[in-house]
Amino acid sequence: MNDLTLNRNRGILLIWILLAVACQLTAQTPAKVIRLKAVTGMQFDKVQLTALPGENIQIVLINQDDMPHNLLITNPGKRQAVVEAALALEEKGPEMNFIPASPDILGSMPVVYPGDSISLVFKTPEKPGAYPYVCSYPGHGFFMYGVLYVGNNLQIPDLEKDTHIPESRRVPIKQAASSVTKHQHSTGDERLHPYDTTPPYLYRAFLEGSGLASIAVRLPGKLAFCWDATACKLQFAWAGDFLDNTDFWHGHKNAYAKVLGEIFYRDGTNYPLRIGHKDAAPTVEYKGYRIVNRYPEFRYIVNGFEVRELIKEQSDGLGLIREFHIPAGIEPVWFVYSGNDGMRYESKTGKFSGNNQISFSPQEAQFFTITMTR
Amino acid sequence: MKYIASNLLVFFLFISTILAQSGRTGSYIIEDITMPEHLDAETGGVAFFPDGRLVACFTRGEVMTYNPETKEWKMFAEGLHEPLGLLVESNSEIIVLQRPELTRIKDTDNDGIADRYDKISDSFGISGNYHEFNYGPVKDKDGNYYIALNTASSGGGFRANPRGELNLMGRDSTTGKKQMYSVVPYRGWVLKITPDGKTIPFASGFRSPNGIGFDDQENLFVTDNQSDWVETSTFSHVQEGKFYGHPASLVWDQKMKGINPFQLPIETLAQLRTRPAVYFPHGIMANSPAEPLYISSDQRFGPFAGQFLVGEMNHERIVRVMLEKVKGEFQGACVPFYDKKGIHFGNNRLAFAPDGSLYIGQITHGWLGAKGLQRIVYTGKTPMEIATMKVTKKGFEFTFTQPLANSNAIQKSDIALRHYYYKYQKKPFTEHIDKSNQSDIQEVEIRNVTFSKDRKKMMVQLPDLKAGYVYEFKLNGIRGKEGEVLENNLICYTLNNLLP
Repeated sequence: MNDLTLNRNRGILLIWILLAVACQLTAQTPAKVIRLKAVTGMQFDKVQLTALPGENIQIVLINQDDMPHNLLITNPGKRQAVVEAALALEEKGPEMNFIPASPDILGSMPVVYPGDSISLVFKTPEKPGAYPYVCSYPGHGFFMYGVLYVGNNLQIPDLEKDTHIPESRRVPIKQAASSVTKHQHSTGDERLHPYDTTPPYLYRAFLEGSGLASIAVRLPGKLAFCWDATACKLQFAWAGDFLDNTDFWHGHKNAYAKVLGEIFYRDGTNYPLRIGHKDAAPTVEYKGYRIVNRYPEFRYIVNGFEVRELIKEQSDGLGLIREFHIPAGIEPVWFVYSGNDGMRYESKTGKFSGNNQISFSPQEAQFFTITMTR
Repeated sequence: MKYIASNLLVFFLFISTILAQSGRTGSYIIEDITMPEHLDAETGGVAFFPDGRLVACFTRGEVMTYNPETKEWKMFAEGLHEPLGLLVESNSEIIVLQRPELTRIKDTDNDGIADRYDKISDSFGISGNYHEFNYGPVKDKDGNYYIALNTASSGGGFRANPRGELNLMGRDSTTGKKQMYSVVPYRGWVLKITPDGKTIPFASGFRSPNGIGFDDQENLFVTDNQSDWVETSTFSHVQEGKFYGHPASLVWDQKMKGINPFQLPIETLAQLRTRPAVYFPHGIMANSPAEPLYISSDQRFGPFAGQFLVGEMNHERIVRVMLEKVKGEFQGACVPFYDKKGIHFGNNRLAFAPDGSLYIGQITHGWLGAKGLQRIVYTGKTPMEIATMKVTKKGFEFTFTQPLANSNAIQKSDIALRHYYYKYQKKPFTEHIDKSNQSDIQEVEIRNVTFSKDRKKMMVQLPDLKAGYVYEFKLNGIRGKEGEVLENNLICYTLNNLLP
């Protein structure tokens, strides 16, 4: 019983455990342990199990999903009927662990909560056959099941041809493994959308190291940057692959879109623009963006003045070109940068001053370009 | 001729196959919409442009259009953060609610692809908790938008850099770890947003309000999902300044400044709370209700004008809601619609097409559900259904969509009736999240059943009526004029008020 883990104190569970212990004590041979995981997407990690007739097995269900699950073993061909009987429990379902009274249920374990595990000790039937195991939590049973093959000298069908397992799992093992842990890298080698995503393109997403309203932009030349739509500034830039959105898109757990590749720049200033006043960090408000040749041009307000900013790649992949428009033409503007962010700053207009600032006259500020090179 | 004849044969075979799939009566036909390749069709919103094209948003950030005639899909907008609702403004402009903001998205150069994404409002908090979903928008006749904000899940924490003020009193971390929480502004609220972006807290007390919709009289309704403080899922008439039961959101109520809502006595919360108009009994009617869609009198969707259809995630059905006003408050009944007749799980978003057919957008998003879109078409043949259910002085009156064939044969014993109520309470710490407690469940004896002369109405008399109870009827043995069985015989009436 070393495998038995119980993280919740529930009377009803205790009964199961006692039963399990009782079964095991009476068994002649120690039970064969089968570890089974409930994983994301309402699935068991394994969909084919094997055992000998009359064998004592111990199924340990480890719930790695974020929904509760149970496990029932049924007579051959009775999965659907048992699942429907579980649904018919309606509001009585939870207190019965979604286990209906049915002679076709040969073994069962109660609901296992996310992060918990429960084991079921079970003596397999003497009669060889394909015995389904299924989660009977409402609705899950239509997708979340597998088959326990009982027999001597078993011939297990290939996954592709096994009609006892869900259709989605009837794929060769290699592919099956990747379909369970499939990662949504935006590297261009897999279509993640029903349209072309040749850079530039963007995702609004949660990104670590930026505000919770952020915009990740993929640029040509294997570059990318994160623009913070709360702080209204470029937060960081990276080179290499774009994002892994697997967990982020899953939607059922706290997750970030993961930056792939190497971050080569992080903004090291309070705020990179000053309008009218050189020293105080300004008040900002995000307004939106428009798409220009698939590049976003951000629009925001700094100290009451509209700013438009469009960020492009340097064609050699070594940095970014930032085009600013401050159309009012009323106040002088300073672009401020950190001296130790590893970037070299250039501008064809404006005046560089010693303390990492470039100043622009109101007219110059109507359109200026900052080139950042690593 | 031969060619035409064989084509006709194929056509009739096709039609009869469709009819065979569409249930006994043939009043409705359902079909799956073919989705474009490489789309993870987790549907967050569905609507129609005036020109007849469908527009839908999906959780990976796509906004796609679909031409029902050519069956062609096209990208309209991309890159959004978990869009879960959209509203059409014109053939080239939509409003989308995504995680960070309400956004106006417009195709200004008429190439069919949006090129402007303008913020309307981001004046609400984000803690980074995965469960802070945003629902809506819907629009009133003055052009104001209404959105509903989910609370955060106790199944996840929040980030160190939330957007908006952090207030930890919106979270009960001592005795109620399972309670949803609101640590940033307006989680658990319905907000009103003026066309120029002014954001006004409108109503509070929601847990997981994955459905918001107007009727044709500017009455706003919101669905909420069962669990802590929401004993069973609800359908509420939402009015400005009112509180609907989940305490977390009250930390953002100006009148409650400095008060920890989780420490308020249940009696106080109960006094503040406005009851839902309709309860969806959990495990019986709906476990996870979604968007309500009003059936206006110009819709061609069968004999249900003036009622709502409501999406349901956990059953292969949608739910129909019928309301009446008693003592100035809405109350009424819910009944399954198109139950287990080919509809999938995960019925999240509903929209009527210009041709009168109903489109259903499905979602899983990590829960039980399905992906894609389905379409239900009314064939014009009146279904055998309960048209309306109303409370009377002594019981209930059912009106059917057709005269009954066999009113003489219907006995009291054909009608199974239970009543129960849902207690407003804090969920015990140890209780299963899906556990829904019905209090005082009792079989109710029926005193008398009578019928109107035209055999369309059935009056059920009871020994007494209890305000605050749900009356759950199963009507057996009822047949339409051509012998049709009643399509959906389960109906639950929320009796908030007795007739005066």
